[in-house]
Amino acid sequence: MLLLMQALLWTIAGISALPFAIAGEVFMLGLGLASLLLALATCLLAIGILWRRNRARRWAMRLEIACLAGSLLLLAVPVGANHGPVAWMTNVALPVAVIVLLRKPREAFS
Amino acid sequence: MAERPCTWTCLPYVVLRCGHDADVMFDIAPDHAIGLYAGLLALPLALIAIRLRPGRRGVAVTVLGASVLMAMAGAIHLALISTHRSEPLTALLFLANGAGYIALSFAFTWRLWRLASATLLIATLLGYVIWIAIGLDSPDQVALAAKLLELTALGLVLVPARGERVKHRSWRWAVLGVALPLLTLIATSTIWIVDLARPDAQHSHAGAVLQATNDVATPQQVAAAAQLYSDTRSAILPYEDWHEAWAAGYRPGGNLGGSTHWVNQRYVDAGYVMDPHRPQGLVYANTKHGPVLIGAMFQMKHIGQFGPDPGGPLTAWHQHENICVSPIFLEFSLMTPFATCPLGAIDISVSPMLHVWIVDNPKGGPFAVDIDPEVVKAIDRA
Repeated sequence: MLLLMQALLWTIAGISALPFAIAGEVFMLGLGLASLLLALATCLLAIGILWRRNRARRWAMRLEIACLAGSLLLLAVPVGANHGPVAWMTNVALPVAVIVLLRKPREAFS
Repeated sequence: MAERPCTWTCLPYVVLRCGHDADVMFDIAPDHAIGLYAGLLALPLALIAIRLRPGRRGVAVTVLGASVLMAMAGAIHLALISTHRSEPLTALLFLANGAGYIALSFAFTWRLWRLASATLLIATLLGYVIWIAIGLDSPDQVALAAKLLELTALGLVLVPARGERVKHRSWRWAVLGVALPLLTLIATSTIWIVDLARPDAQHSHAGAVLQATNDVATPQQVAAAAQLYSDTRSAILPYEDWHEAWAAGYRPGGNLGGSTHWVNQRYVDAGYVMDPHRPQGLVYANTKHGPVLIGAMFQMKHIGQFGPDPGGPLTAWHQHENICVSPIFLEFSLMTPFATCPLGAIDISVSPMLHVWIVDNPKGGPFAVDIDPEVVKAIDRA
C-alpha cells in the first residue's frame, strides 16, 4: 500500500514535468516519462510483494534505500531544498516505513 | 532591509508566528503551526493507545496503521479549532472531522469501521478540495501533510489484508485502484492550480518569494529606485554588444521564455552587492538578429539573504524556491505540492535576485520579477 502511494506521488511528479516540456524544456519530457516508468515499476514491485516474491522484496528494499539516501543527501547539502513536513513525510518517512515493513524474515517470501 | 517573513518547520511556534501573511503551500501558515505539533504529539499517543487495546491482535496491520494515521489527522483538525474560532463554520467542521477521526481510530474492531472510515476520509478530502477551490482557505504545509496522511489512511482502510475474510475483495481492490489515484490526482491538481492562480502578496509567481517590504513606496524610495535604474542602465549599456559582455566574463545560461541570463561567475563569487557596474547577470532577448540586451540582474551570494532594498516595494528582491532542476540537462520544472520532483531532477532554491529591465516592461515595471514575454516577442519582431 505504501509502495502504491509512492508510485502515485511519482506519477504526479512525472505528469508535472510535461507542461514544462511543452513550454520548451524538452529534456523534462524524458525525465517525466522516466518518472512515470519508475512509478510503474514501483507498482509492479508492490504486486510482487503482495505475491510474496523475494526478488520483488529485494528490489523494493534497494529502491527505498536509494531514495532515502538521495533524500537525506539533498536535505543535508545547502542547496535550499524544501525542508517542510511534507518533504520529510514523502521523501524520508515513507521510504523508512517501507524499509522497516520489508525487514520481515526472508522465509515469508518465496 | 526586511528579512524573509516565514520559515519552514522544526522551529518554535513563536518563531513561526512571525510571518502573518505566509499561507502558500510550501510555507507553514502561522495559524496552522499548532496543528503540526498536535499531529506529531498524537503519533506516540496513538501507538501507546493501540498497544493497550487487547482487540488489536485480531486485526490486520493495515487497519492499525490506518488508525494511527487517522488519530494524527484528527489531532491536527482538533488543534486547528483554537486558531479558527473567528470562523465558526470552519471550526465546526474541524471539530466534526477531528472527533470523527479520533473515534474511528479507537473503533477499529467495529463491524462497519472500514465503511465509516472510507466515507469520512473521502468526504474530508473532497471537502478540502472544494474549500480551497472556492477560496475559503489556502493550501499550506500543515494542510498538505494532513491530506497526505488521509490519502495513505484511505489506502490502508481499503486494501484487503492477507488472510482476512472479505466478502467483496475484488470490489475493494477496484475501489483502491480507482478511487485512490483519482483522489490523489484531483487533490494535487486543485491545490496546485489554486496556489498558482492565487499567489499571496509574498509570492509574485510560481516558485518566487518576494522580499517583505512596506506596501506603498515613499517619495525617497521612488527617488532611490529611479537612481538605481539610471545608474544600472548607463553602466550596462556597453554590453548591448554581447561580445563586450563575453569579454567581461559573462556566459549564457539556460533559455527562459525567449530570453537568456548571462552570468558572470566571478562577480557572483566575489559577492558584490547591487553594484551597478558589476551586476552578476545580464539578460538578453534571443532574437533572430542575435542577443538583444534587455536588463541586468543583481544576485546575492547566499540563499535566504535578501539584498538592500532602497526602493522599498519598487525594488523588492525575489528568491526562487522549490525548483526541480536537472543537473545534467540544466532544465527545470516546479516541485509538486507533495514534494516530489521528476526522476533525475533535484529540488533547489536560488539565492535572492533583483532584475533591472532597461526596456519598457508595461506589466511589471523596471524591477519586475519577470519580463513580459510579449515585450521579448516584440523585440524579436523589430
